[in-house]
Amino acid sequence: MAGDTVIETRALSKIYRDFWGRPKVRALKALDLEIKQGEVFGLLGPNGSGKTTTIKLLLGLLFPTDGQALVFGKDATDVSKNERIGYLPEESYLYRFLNAEETLDFYGRLFDIRHDVLKQRIDDLIKMVGLDRARKRQLKEYSKGMTRRIGLAQALINEPDLILLDEPTSGLDPIGTREMKDMILRLRSEGKTIVMCSHLLADVQDVCDRIAILHQGELKELGRVDTLLTVADVTQIRAKRLNPDCQNEIRQVIERHHGELVSIEHPTTTLEELFLSIVRDSEARPGRRAVAAAEPAAPPS
Amino acid sequence: MVLEKEVLPYLTWLMGGSGTELGTLYRFLIIAAMLAVLALLIGFLTALLRYGPLKAGDLTYRVLVNGFSELAQVSPRRVWALARLAVKESIRRRVVVVLVVFAMILLFASWFLQTGYRDPGKLFFSFVLTATTYLVLFISLLISALSLPQDFKSKTIHTVMTKPVRAGEIVLGRILGFTIVGTVLLAIMAIGSYLFVVRTLYHTHAVEVANLESINDADGNVIGKKGHTTSSQSHRHEIEVDAEGNGVALSANGHDHEITAGQHGGEMAYEVGGPRGLMRARMPHYGKLRFLDRKGVDVARGISVGSEWTYRSFIEGGTSAAAIWTFDGIDDSTLRRADDGDGQYLPLELIVRVFRSYTGNIDRGIQGSVQLRNPDKPDIKTDLETFTAKDDSINDINLSRKLYDPQQKPIDLLEDLVSEDGRLDVIVQCLDRSQYFGFAQADAYLRKPDGSPWVNFVKAFLSIWVQMLLVIAIGVTCSTVVNGPVAVMFTVAFIALGFFKEFFVNVATGKQVGGGPLESLVRLVTQKNQTTGLDEDNLSVQLMHAVDKFFETAMRSLAYVLPDFRSLSTVDYVAYGFNIPPSKVYQDLTVGLAYLAGLLVIGYFLLRTREVAK
Ligand SMILES: Nc1ncnc2c1ncn2[C@@H]1O[C@H](COP(=O)(O)OP(=O)(O)OP(=O)(O)O)[C@@H](O)[C@H]1O
Ligand SMILES: [Mg+2]
Repeated sequence: MAGDTVIETRALSKIYRDFWGRPKVRALKALDLEIKQGEVFGLLGPNGSGKTTTIKLLLGLLFPTDGQALVFGKDATDVSKNERIGYLPEESYLYRFLNAEETLDFYGRLFDIRHDVLKQRIDDLIKMVGLDRARKRQLKEYSKGMTRRIGLAQALINEPDLILLDEPTSGLDPIGTREMKDMILRLRSEGKTIVMCSHLLADVQDVCDRIAILHQGELKELGRVDTLLTVADVTQIRAKRLNPDCQNEIRQVIERHHGELVSIEHPTTTLEELFLSIVRDSEARPGRRAVAAAEPAAPPS
Repeated sequence: MVLEKEVLPYLTWLMGGSGTELGTLYRFLIIAAMLAVLALLIGFLTALLRYGPLKAGDLTYRVLVNGFSELAQVSPRRVWALARLAVKESIRRRVVVVLVVFAMILLFASWFLQTGYRDPGKLFFSFVLTATTYLVLFISLLISALSLPQDFKSKTIHTVMTKPVRAGEIVLGRILGFTIVGTVLLAIMAIGSYLFVVRTLYHTHAVEVANLESINDADGNVIGKKGHTTSSQSHRHEIEVDAEGNGVALSANGHDHEITAGQHGGEMAYEVGGPRGLMRARMPHYGKLRFLDRKGVDVARGISVGSEWTYRSFIEGGTSAAAIWTFDGIDDSTLRRADDGDGQYLPLELIVRVFRSYTGNIDRGIQGSVQLRNPDKPDIKTDLETFTAKDDSINDINLSRKLYDPQQKPIDLLEDLVSEDGRLDVIVQCLDRSQYFGFAQADAYLRKPDGSPWVNFVKAFLSIWVQMLLVIAIGVTCSTVVNGPVAVMFTVAFIALGFFKEFFVNVATGKQVGGGPLESLVRLVTQKNQTTGLDEDNLSVQLMHAVDKFFETAMRSLAYVLPDFRSLSTVDYVAYGFNIPPSKVYQDLTVGLAYLAGLLVIGYFLLRTREVAK
C-alpha cells in the first residue's frame, strides 16, 4: 500500500527550557514534513541542527512546544504506535548488565510475540548483526561498534513497519557500514519506511529516496535525492580504451560546441572500495596476504 | 507491652463499626478522591502556565482519559518482562551482599547478647526481627529508589519507552521485581533468624540426682520426686518427676524441658530434653477493664504515676483501689483440663507493672490478690487468691473450678460465678500499702489454646514484608520524577514521618505541647521553653498562630496519607510470645495493597507526564 502517509508533522516546534521554564534553545522551528510508506527518508544537517530532536519528537520521547506530530495517524505521544516502530538511538542506550541474548529477549517480551517465534528471531538477528560469538557476553564488555550492532538488532525485534535510525553508521567499521546500507535497502524492498539522520552525505546519498536538510532547527531543503544531486549543466564523460588521438578529437568536438572541458581523467577507485576488497579478499583466503601492487580493485558488483 | 492498641475485627476495621469511627475503606476513598482533585488541579495549573488555558484544558483531559485507559491496558507479559529485568538488575548489582551483612549481625549478636538473660527468647527474637526489618527496609530503599533514575541517567529508558510499554507497567514491573528480590532475601533471613535463635538458645541440663527428694502419699508410698537441675545458660529449673522418673523441668527463663527416664550403663538415668516453648503464640481472650479508686468508687482510670507511664494507670496497695476486668463468653470450653486429668481450671494470665513508692525489701515481691465475682450478683464472690507479682512479666494465675467463698463455703466457678449471659468479673488488688500496680486493658486475659508458633513467626515476617512492599512502592514512585539521591531522601522522609506519625499527628491536631511548627521555631529561637505562655493579644503572636493553623491543616492532611510503620511492626508479638491476630495480618496486607494501588496510579501519572528525553 505504498503512498500511505506514515509520518506527518505540522508546524512542529521544540524549545528546550531550563528548570524554571525559561527558554534555553529553540531546537526546532515549525517543521512540516510528510513521509510516505516505503520511503527511505534522510534528515541531514550539521551538528546541533535538530535532527535528533525531530526523531525524539516523533517517538514521543519529547513533547512538542507547539505543533503536532502524527505517526501512523496517531499522536506521537500515543504508546500503542510503538508496536510498529523500531528505534536505534544516537548511542545505544542498553542495559549493560545484560548479554546480547538477554537484551533481545527483554525487548522482545515487550511486544506481543509468540515465544518460539521470538526465540527464532533473536537467533536470526544476532547472526545478522554478526554477534554470534559474543551472544553470551555482557554488553559492558562490548566495543562501540558491537553495541551499535546489538542496538540495531533490538530495533528490529518486532519487525517494525517504521524504523527510525539516528546516525546508523556511526561507530561501525566499513563492512558494518556497507551491511547497514544493504540492510536499509533490503528493508525498503520489503515495503518498510525508514527515517534516518546522518551527516555522512555519502551514506545518505547511497540509500535515501528523499532528504530534508536542517540548519539551526529550520528546514532548508527537501526533495528527492536524484533530483537534488543532478547537476543539469554538467556532462561527465567517462570511457575506456581511448588512445591519445581519440582524446584530442573529443577535446576539439567540445571546443567546437563552445563547451568547457572540466576534466578527462582515468577513473580512480574509492578508498572505501579498496578497503572492502582487501577485507573481502582476506576473508575468502585467510592468512597473510601477498600485496598485489598495481592491480586495481574489482569494480563493485 | 504488646497490645497497646486493640486490634479490631477485620470487617469492623474496613467498613466502620457501630461507633462514630469511619471505616478504613471510606477513609481511603475520601483521601484518594481528595488527592485526585489536588493532583488534577496542580496538573492543570502547570499546563496553564506552559501552554495557556485552551491547550491546558485539552491536555489535562487527554492525560486523564488516556491515563485510565492505559492503566486498564496493563499487560501481565510486559510487567513480568520488566520485573525480570528488575530482578536481574538487583542481582547484578549484588544485593546479596546484605546476606553477608545479615550474617555479620548475627555473629555480632552471638557475641554480645547474653543467653543468661531472664527471658532470652524475648531478647533474641526481638533483636533478630528488628535487625532484619531495618536491613530489609534499607536495601529495599536503595534498590527501589536508585533504579529508575539510573535508567534516566544512562538513557536506557529511551529504548524502553519507545516500545509499547505503558508507564504504569514500568512502575509496577519494578515494584514487582524488587518485591520478588526482597521476598527471597527475607525468606533466607527468616530461616537464618530462626535457626540462629534456636541454635544459640539450645541447651540441656542434668538432673542433680543427689538432691532429689521423694514425695510420698498418705500411705508413705513414693509417688514422685522433686529437686532441681544443674545450671546451664545461667539458670536452673525446679523439676518434678513421677514414680517412673518422667516429668518436667518447670518453666524458668521462659521455657521448660521434658524429663524422661532412661537407662544408662544399666543404671537408671534422667534425660533432659531441649528447651520447649522458647517461641509461643499465646491466644488471649480479653476483657473490659475498669477501676475502683482508693475509696472503692468506680472510675474510668486509675491514678497516674508519671507521664512516661501513660499507657497504664495505677491502683494503690492496701486500699479499696482495684482493677476489674469483665470477661464475656465464659463457658465450659474456656476452662482447661489439668494435665493430670483431675479438675478444670480458669487459665488467667496477668501482666503487672509494679511501681514501688518505697523500695522496701527488694527481694520480697509485692503481694497482690485476685478475686472472682459474679457481675450480676456481686455478693457471690470468691475468697482472695494471693500471688507475688513478677514485674513486667506474665504471672500465671490458674484458678481451679472448685473455689471457696470468703466464708469458706465451696462454690463452683461456672455454676455460681458466671452470669446467665456468660460474664465473669476478675478483681485484682495490690495488698502492700503504698505500693502500686499498673494495668491496661490488655494486661489480663484468659488464655485460649496456643496458636502455632511457626505460623506466628511467618506472620511476623509477613508484616515485615508489607513494610518492605511499602518502601519499595514509595521508592519507585518517588524515583519516577526525581534523581536517585533525592528519591532516596524523599523515601527516607516518608518512612521517618511514618515512624513518628503519632508525634506528627499530635503536632497537627495541636496536642503537642509547644504549639505548631512556627511557634516551636519561635520558641526555639527566642529560647522560651515549651510551656511558657505567649502574649495572646500580640498581633505577631496571632499571625504566628494563623500560619501555624495553615501548617497544621497541611500536616494533618499529610499525616493521614503517611503509612504508620510503627503499627505495622509485629516484632513484639513474637518476642513476647503472643499470637498475631489474623485480623491484624489482613489489615496490614490490605493497607499494603491500598498503598500499592495509590502509589501505582501516582507513579503512572508522574512518569507519563514526564518528558523522558529531557
Ligand atoms: N536536553 C536538551 N536540553 C537542552 N538543549 C538541548 C537538549 N538536547 C538538545 N538540545 C539542543 O538542541 C539543539 C538540537 O540538538 P539535536 O540533538 O537535535 O542536534 P542534532 O542535529 O542531532 O546534532 P548531532 O548531529 O550532533 O547529533 C542543539 O542546539 C542542542 O544543544
Ligand atoms: Mg543527533
